[in-house]
Amino acid sequence: MDAIGADQKDPRVAASSQTLNGSGPDAEVRSRLDAVWELANDALFAISLDGTIVAWNRSAERIYGYPAQAIIGKPLSLLVPEDRRHELETTITSIARGATIEHFETIRLRSDGVPIDVSLSIAPTRDEKGRVTCALAVARDITAIKQALRQAELSSVKLSEREAMLQRALLALRKSLEETKSAQLQVVQAAKLESIGRLAAGVAHEVKNPLAVILFAIDYLAETVQTPDVNMVAALNDARDAVLRADSVIRGLLEFSTATELTVAKEDVNSVLEKALLLVRHALTKSHIFVVEEFASDLPPAMLDPTKIEQVFVNLMINAVDAMPSGGTLIIRSRREQLKEPGPDVGYRRSDRFRVGQTVIVIEIEDTGTGIDEAARARLFDPFFTTKPPGRGTGLGLAVCKSIVALHGGTIRIANREGGGGTRATVIFQSVRP
Amino acid sequence: MDKIRVLLIDDEPSFTRMLKLSLERRGRFEVRVENNGAYGLKVAQDFRPDIILLDVIMPDVDGGEIASTIREDRNLKDTPIVFLTAGVSKETTRAKGNVIGGQKYLAKPATVDEIVRCIETQLRKPGGVAPGSSAVPKN
Repeated sequence: MDAIGADQKDPRVAASSQTLNGSGPDAEVRSRLDAVWELANDALFAISLDGTIVAWNRSAERIYGYPAQAIIGKPLSLLVPEDRRHELETTITSIARGATIEHFETIRLRSDGVPIDVSLSIAPTRDEKGRVTCALAVARDITAIKQALRQAELSSVKLSEREAMLQRALLALRKSLEETKSAQLQVVQAAKLESIGRLAAGVAHEVKNPLAVILFAIDYLAETVQTPDVNMVAALNDARDAVLRADSVIRGLLEFSTATELTVAKEDVNSVLEKALLLVRHALTKSHIFVVEEFASDLPPAMLDPTKIEQVFVNLMINAVDAMPSGGTLIIRSRREQLKEPGPDVGYRRSDRFRVGQTVIVIEIEDTGTGIDEAARARLFDPFFTTKPPGRGTGLGLAVCKSIVALHGGTIRIANREGGGGTRATVIFQSVRP
Repeated sequence: MDKIRVLLIDDEPSFTRMLKLSLERRGRFEVRVENNGAYGLKVAQDFRPDIILLDVIMPDVDGGEIASTIREDRNLKDTPIVFLTAGVSKETTRAKGNVIGGQKYLAKPATVDEIVRCIETQLRKPGGVAPGSSAVPKN
């Protein structure tokens, strides 16, 4: 702002002097007040009780953009946005009653129409009789502070959004981590199977040829020796049994390793159970085992490899037969079931093997033998673990069963029957629409 | 009665020696052995077998390749081929009717009786010959 010469009548100073000179203070006081008026960093202006601007300092010019000459004598409403005009009446009324307004934050307009944030403090000025004559306003431009606050609020909102986004990302990451761990386990298991498979294939080729030679030699000797003594016959039979046993171990390894190859189709699980039963019929009759079939007639189909699943059922049925050397009852059940509650392998997540609400096929194969002790139950699916007497089992049967069922997306578990007296194998498959 | 001419191609000399011995002891079979798969086709062309028992995994050449070259030979294309393999289990071959990929398989170790039954079954099929007769004209 241009400096004003001593001989010129500065409207800002004149205004202040006119306004503040009502009681006639002495020159020193007036000089101080004029200095405050001139040097104040806030806008200072005086308003008459009818709302007319009567004094206007240098900072008011800077903040509002109006030169004193242009604004003095104009109504205060020039500075007030349309939607805040009501503040004017309230303010003037309050001041006329002698009230003081302090730090009232509002919005006012610059001369170019740009709104600014101001903090207003207004006090009445009085004449020698104490009557309110006009109001002195101090307006502090707080636009920068308000903008900073608004920016901070905006940042805070954005921060909250980011935090929520991070929380969601964290949850997704945790879920993904769990799924990765689960997938990793499956990959490790698949890698184990693959290495066992490679090993088994190599062992099979290297061992089965010599076994075949031994078997031919045994048969050749058995056929060519004209008058074999009793010991020779027994020795040849033992040798043949040994070859067949070694072959069954290799076979088990091969089956364990090739359990990864499935040829699936929509199948009726009851039919697969029937075929498996036919295959073990001879063993059942020989062991005097009575069979109870409780097959559901409304069983939905399942996507499965019938040969592999038949192998699973045969295996479980043979185990049941072996568990009842003195006879007993083999109970085979099939039923459809809608999973109602979360539990082992049942949940709400995509990574759960079964989902709550899903319809599954449940197969139970039960024997009335003596059951299995807890320590053995924990290891039943370990390769090469068997509860059968030496020479009766390779310990690979249930490991193969578990692999096959898992490949079908199903589960298998073995527990003692409630109340004891036998074992129940439960196999669960996902069903498909008929 | 002509004997059934069996060509046995397998790289395991002890296996071929024992199987030849066991089959020929039955009196109905004439067995030619070839332990080098690469010579399989040449021996088959010379011997004109009624049936070929062919090992799958051999060090120099794979049984599948030998079977392919035999199938391309005008005089041998109808000769039944049975693969002998140590790579699959008996349960697998039985479950698939002893046929994998359209080819007849026998899992090792098989007994001589199982091999004889397999040979007889193959020779009774169309394209095979009745036991004791000849599938293709002999030179």
